[in-house]
Formats: sequence, structure tokens, C-alpha cells
Amino acid sequence: MNMQQREEKQLENTLQAVLNRVNDLKSAIQALITKVETEYETINWPTFLDNYAILSGHLTGLSKILQAEVSTSLRSRIVLPLQLGCERDETLVRLTEGRVPACTHDLVPDLLRTKPEPQAEQRLQQFNHKASTLSYDTAQKQVAQFTKVVSHVWEIISKGREDWEGESMRSAGMQPTHSIADTHALVTAVGTGKGLRPGMPPMVGVGVGGGVGVGVGMARGQAPLGPQAPALPKAPSAIKTNIKAANQIHPYQR
Amino acid sequence: MSAANASPITATDSLSQALRANIIPNQEYLLQGSVLDSAVEVLLHRLRGLCDNVDAGPETFDDQEVCFSLRDPNQESAPLMLRVRKALDARDMPYQLRYIGQPDLGDKTRPTVVRSSLDIACSGMLIEFLNELGCRIEFEYSVKGYMFRKGRMKITVAKVFKISQSSMPPEPISQSYLVELSVLAPQGQDAIGEDMRAFADQLRPLVQLDKIDYKRLGHMAVT
Repeated sequence: MNMQQREEKQLENTLQAVLNRVNDLKSAIQALITKVETEYETINWPTFLDNYAILSGHLTGLSKILQAEVSTSLRSRIVLPLQLGCERDETLVRLTEGRVPACTHDLVPDLLRTKPEPQAEQRLQQFNHKASTLSYDTAQKQVAQFTKVVSHVWEIISKGREDWEGESMRSAGMQPTHSIADTHALVTAVGTGKGLRPGMPPMVGVGVGGGVGVGVGMARGQAPLGPQAPALPKAPSAIKTNIKAANQIHPYQR
Repeated sequence: MSAANASPITATDSLSQALRANIIPNQEYLLQGSVLDSAVEVLLHRLRGLCDNVDAGPETFDDQEVCFSLRDPNQESAPLMLRVRKALDARDMPYQLRYIGQPDLGDKTRPTVVRSSLDIACSGMLIEFLNELGCRIEFEYSVKGYMFRKGRMKITVAKVFKISQSSMPPEPISQSYLVELSVLAPQGQDAIGEDMRAFADQLRPLVQLDKIDYKRLGHMAVT
């Protein structure tokens, strides 16, 4: 007696949990349908897809409950339709929110079914058969082909994205408005004097000029032209790559 | 300052007091970028819409900057770099003497470059004075462009020129304008960096203002 009571309680709990989940799922589906019906013109597809994520979350939760140990008692339960009838059943209508007015012959097979539909089952079998008879080479070939197609599509998409992003990045003129190389050239010039250090007299300058761009090497090449070029403490040499070496040599050069 | 004081407060006293109180704006928060000549008008237009000082049209400046170095005779430490700036378009303005410290980029979370910066206005005797001190001219350039303000932030859009012979027009360094966004603030006011980032984002994609370490860029020892 005691045992039976406990079992009943357990079953009740399980059913309650399942019911909650199903209700969640139902409301999520309802929300989705409402969205499709009322906002189909203005809908934001990424958020719409989020709704699917919610649905799948609920489904996962539901299957977790069903798989849990607690619900083993559900497996041993059998639902046996005892009576079918064409008459309208008010209780049933209320329970199903007006969707199922009567327990009729055409509904019961669908509602109480525990296996896939015969048609679907048949097709699944066909596919399984086809897959098992396929030779290894053919399968490989098809996989390769598929990969090729996918990568091709991927390429098209990423190219499209690049174009699109590039377009949105640029302003109306469609021209790039800044250049990183120029930024670096300017910042280095102002910060370290790169490109500004030809032999030059003070302030009221008789600079060298004439060099095109910021090539320091060029400026250096013309340095002797500066009439009163002071002996620079360190040659801003054309070889600018080896900083350390230049530093070490430095004292002896003077 | 008042007569009631027993001993007059000297300049050193007030300076050290200011230092203790941490009210001296000796840190420069800086972001740098550039804009191509072809797009500079668009940028100026946008800045005119964003900034404070635009009632009387954009503010222009035309400066010449000379960078001096003072070397340690024993070659033990890196030379001290001092910058002198004078306004070519406003001759009666004082010269500006400026010390700029090493740029500190920090890690990724820091929004801007931070470097110490000291400015002082000087008379025209400054150049001679520095020469007498043993300072040497390292390089010089002129910089001409526009200055905008937005709250505490200063935005300059300027062309950098190599100083050429007097007969020839100054030669631009590149086909772009240098764009700088900076704030001078006392130590520890890092919150301003976030504001600067936000402002810099408003100029995108026209200009990409970034933390730039010229030490690492310019394959050249500054020493």
C-alpha cells in the first residue's frame, strides 16, 4: 500500500514536470507562430532563428526528463484507447483548448502513435539500404564532390562579405580615406624625425629638400649639399635596420 | 600671497605643492591616425559637427617645431629630447618648450597611449639658451592645419612639412594629414581614455585613431 502510494506520487511529479515542459514548448511555438503571422514583413531573421533555439532548448529539456531515472515508471504505463466516438466531448475540447472536439477514428492513430509514420519509416529504410550498398570509392568521390561544392559556396559567400564590408567601410566616395602606411610615416616623422633629418642649419632653415617622399636614405644622400651641415652626432644612415649595431659603433665613429 | 604671510611663498613652493596635490596636467593621453588629402574635407566636416569650437569656423594653426637633444657626455643615458614650437601665423605668441616622455602603450585594455608631457611658454631667447646649454638640433618640421576641441579633448588635423630652402615651398611628408586626439590631464585620470576611444569611434571609418608606438615602427634608434 505504502509502496503504491509512493509510486503514485512519483508518477504525479513526473507528469507534472513533463506537463510544465510541454506547456513551455507550447507557448514558445505559439510565440513563434504569432511572430510569423503578425511581423512577417518587418521580422529580423536572426531573432527569428533565436526562437528556434528556444524551441530546441525546450525539447532537450523535455527529453532529459523523459530519459531520467524517475520516469522509468512511465515506460511501464500503457495507454489503451477503449472507446472511440464521433460525439463532441466538452471535457476534451476544454483540455485541448478547442483543438480536438472528439476522440474519433481519424485522429487517434496520429495522436497515439509511438513510431514514425509508415511512409517516413519506409523512406528511412530505403536510405539506409542505399547507404549500406554504396561502395567505398563512390562514397569517397561523393564526399569530395560535396566538399568541393561547399568550399566553392564558402568562397562566394566570403568574397561577397568582403565586398560588402569594404563597401560599408568606405564612405560615399567608395575610396579608402586613410592609409596605415601614411599614418606610420607621419607619426614616425613627428616622433623621431625620420625623413626630417637631412643635414640642416638651425631654425631659419636652409634645409635640403628635393627628396621625394620620406626616404631617409635619399635625404642622407643629399646631405652634403647643405652648406653648413653640422656634423651630426650620429649618422642617420640609410641602413636603419640594425639599431643595436649602430648604437655600439656609434662612439667610435665620432 | 597676502601680506599677512610671514615668509613669501616661492614659485618652487607652489610648484611642489601643486605636484603633491596632483593637479598638474603632466600626462598626455594620445591617439594618432591619418587621413588622405582627398578625404580631409569630409573629416573636417564631420569634426565641425562633433566639436565645440566651430561657431567661428575651424581654428587654423601653422607651427614650426624644432627638436633639440641634450646628450649625456658620458653616453650613459639616452639623450634628453626637447621640442620648441613657434607659431608662424601668430608671431607675437610665445615659443613653446615641450618635453615628451616615453610613450606607454600599456596592454590591450588601455584605450590610449599615455606619455608624460610638460609644456611651458618661453620667450624668443629660448633657442639661444638651449644652444648655450649644449642642446643640438636633431630635426625640424612645420605643421599646418586645423585644431578642434571637444570638452577636454583636442583634435588636430595637420599636414607635416619638411622645412625646405626658403625659395622652395615646404615639402609635405606624405599624401595624408596627421590626425591626433589628445588630452592633457593630471596623473591617474585614466577615465578620459574611454571618452577618447568613444570619440575616436565616431570618426571611423574615415580615420582610424590608434595607439601607435613610433619606437617600434621607425627602424631607427632615437638615441
